[in-house]
Amino acid sequence: MGTANVAVKSRAAPLQWRWPLVWASLLALCVLGMPHLEALFRLFEPDARQVVYTRASFATLLWRHLSVVAVAALAGIVFGVLAGIAVTRKRGRDFMPLVAQLASLGQTFPPVAVLALAVPAIGFGTWPIIMALLLYGLLPIVRNTLSGLLGVDAEVKTAARAMGMTPWQVLISVELPLAMPIILAGVRTSVTINIATAALGATVGASNLGDPIIAGIINNNTAYIVQGAVVIALLALTVDSLFDMLQQRLKTSRSAA
Amino acid sequence: MTAISKEERTARQGSDKCFVPNIVLITLSLGLLMLLWSVDSVSIAPNRIVPGSGFMLWQALGLPGALLVSVLIAALAALALTPQKRFYSAQLIIIALLLLLMPFGLMVAGALLIEPDMPQARLGVSGGFWCLLFVMLLALVEVRLRLKLSRLWPALLLCFVAAVWWLCALSWLDHVALVQEFKARDAQFMRALQQHLVLVGVSVSLSVVLGLALALAMRRFSRLNRLGFALLNFVQTIPSLALFGLLLAPLAWLASQVPLLARLGVSGIGMAPALIALVAYSLLPMVRNTYTALDEVDEATLEAATAMGMRSAQRFWQVRLPLALPVLIEGVRITAVQAIGLATVAALIGAGGLGTFIFQGLGQAAMDMVLLGALPILVLALLVDASLGALAERLRPEGMQ
Repeated sequence: MGTANVAVKSRAAPLQWRWPLVWASLLALCVLGMPHLEALFRLFEPDARQVVYTRASFATLLWRHLSVVAVAALAGIVFGVLAGIAVTRKRGRDFMPLVAQLASLGQTFPPVAVLALAVPAIGFGTWPIIMALLLYGLLPIVRNTLSGLLGVDAEVKTAARAMGMTPWQVLISVELPLAMPIILAGVRTSVTINIATAALGATVGASNLGDPIIAGIINNNTAYIVQGAVVIALLALTVDSLFDMLQQRLKTSRSAA
Repeated sequence: MTAISKEERTARQGSDKCFVPNIVLITLSLGLLMLLWSVDSVSIAPNRIVPGSGFMLWQALGLPGALLVSVLIAALAALALTPQKRFYSAQLIIIALLLLLMPFGLMVAGALLIEPDMPQARLGVSGGFWCLLFVMLLALVEVRLRLKLSRLWPALLLCFVAAVWWLCALSWLDHVALVQEFKARDAQFMRALQQHLVLVGVSVSLSVVLGLALALAMRRFSRLNRLGFALLNFVQTIPSLALFGLLLAPLAWLASQVPLLARLGVSGIGMAPALIALVAYSLLPMVRNTYTALDEVDEATLEAATAMGMRSAQRFWQVRLPLALPVLIEGVRITAVQAIGLATVAALIGAGGLGTFIFQGLGQAAMDMVLLGALPILVLALLVDASLGALAERLRPEGMQ
C-alpha cells in the first residue's frame, strides 16, 4: 500500500545518461558537421552537382521537426491522459468502451490519409501534420493510461480513501504515480512512431527533416535521402533512449521502495 | 473493464427497477444536433477552381428535410433515456436509416441549390455532413457494444450502406464534386485501386510467410532472437518515406547490372522498391506477434499433447498453431492496416496506387482529387480492420475469450 508514497519520496536513483549522451552527440555531430561530410556523400552520387542538402540548415530542419513532434506529443498527452482519467471516474464510466474503440480507430486511419483529409479542412503547412500525428499517436497513450489506471489495486484506493484522502488526492498521489510507468511506456511508443511519421509533413508543405528526403526522391539524389534518413533515425534513437532512461529510473525507485 | 460497469449497471437496475439513461448516445446526438444547425453542410462552387460558398442544413434540405433529420436524431436521444434491448435495436434502425438517407439529402441539396443555368456547378460536401457521418459511426459502435454484437454485423451493414451510396453516386449524384472527379478518371481510379490492393496483398502475404519462418527460427536459435529484433526495430526507425527513397538507387544499379532482373520488372522506381520497403516494414509487427503468439501457448496443453503420443510436428500443426492463431491473425490485421497506409506513400516513387491521387491533388491544390484518394484508403483500412478483427474473434477457442 505504501508504495505510492514511498515511490514519490524515495531518493531518486542515478540517471543512466550513457546511451542518450551517445546518441545525442552523434546527432549533434551529424547535424552540425553535415557540410563537412561532402567527400563521404560524394561516394553515393559521384555525378551529382551537389551532394549535401543546403536549402535549409539541418539544425533548422531538426528544430522544426522536433517542435512538430513535441506539440503533437504534448497535445496527445493532455488529451489522452485526460480522456483516460475521465472515463475511469464513476461519472465517465459509460464512455469507456467508446473511448477505447475510438482510440483504436485512430490507429486504423493511415497518417497519410489523415494528412490528406486535413489539408482541405485547414490548409497547407504545419497544422495538418500536427493533427495527423496527434490522431495517430493518441491510441498508445489512451490505451496505456486506461490499463495503468485500471490496474491500480482497488484495495489500495479504498485504503487511501479510508486515510481521509479526497478523490482528487487519491488520483494525484496514488493512482497516477502507480500508473506512471505504463503511461510513460505509451508516450514512448507514440513519440517514437511520430518522429518517423512526421517526415510525411514535407509532402504538404511543412518544412522539416522530410524535406531532404522528398528533394532526394524528386531529384533522384540518394545522398539527400541518406542525410534526411540518418538524422531522423538518430533523433528517434536519442529520444527513445531518453525515455528508456526515465523508465529505468522509475523502475529502480519503485524497486528500492 | 466493461464487466465492472455492467455489473454495476445490473445491480442498479435491479435495486430501483428503472434503466440508467445511456449518456453516451444522448451526448452524441445532442452534440450532433447542435453542430448540424450551426455548421455548413454543403458548399456550392461554380466550377472546379473557385472555392465554394457554404450552405446550412436547412438551406440545403429545405426546412421539412432539416426537421426530418433533426427529429430522427432527437429520437435517437429519446430512446437512450430508458435503454432496453429493443430500444437499442430501434436505434440501430434509425442509424441505418440516417446513413441511407445521406446521398438522397445530397440529391435534394443539388436540386434546391444549383440553378439550371450553371452546368459546371459542383456540390461540395462540408463539415456538417462529415460530422453526421462520423457521429453515426460512433453511435453504431456504441449500440454494437450495448447489443453485444460481433464486429461483423456493423461491417456488413456499412457494406450495404456503401453499396447504396455507390449506386446513387453512379446514377443521380452528378453534381457532387467527388463524383465528378471520379467520373473524369474512373478507369485510372480502378487501376490505382487494383495496384494498391496488389501492393498490400503481395507484401502482407510475403511478410506472413517470412514472419512465420523468422519467428520459428528465432524460437529455435535463441542467439538469433536479440539480433533479429534489434534489426527489425532498427528498420522501423527509418522513416517510410526514406526507406522507399533509399531503395531507388541500389535497385536501379542492380537492374542495370543484371539484365534478367530488369526483364522481370525490377527497376529503381515502381513496384519492386515499394514491395521491398513494405515487406521490411511489415516484418516487425508480424514477427513480434507471431513470436508472442507461439510463445504464449500454455505449456501444460503442450505437455498433454506429448503425453497423448503426438510427435513434435503433429504437436505444432494440431496444437500450437491453432491455439496461436487468434494472436497471429491480430498481427496480420495490424500489418495489413499499416501496409494500406504505407502503400499510399509508395506513389511518390512511382508504384501507383491510390496515393497517386493524393499527391497529384496536393500538387494541383485540387482538394476533391485528394479526397478521391484518401477516402477509399480510409474505407479500405476500416474494412480490413473490421473483417480481420472479426476473424480473430471467431477463431478464439471456447474458454479463451
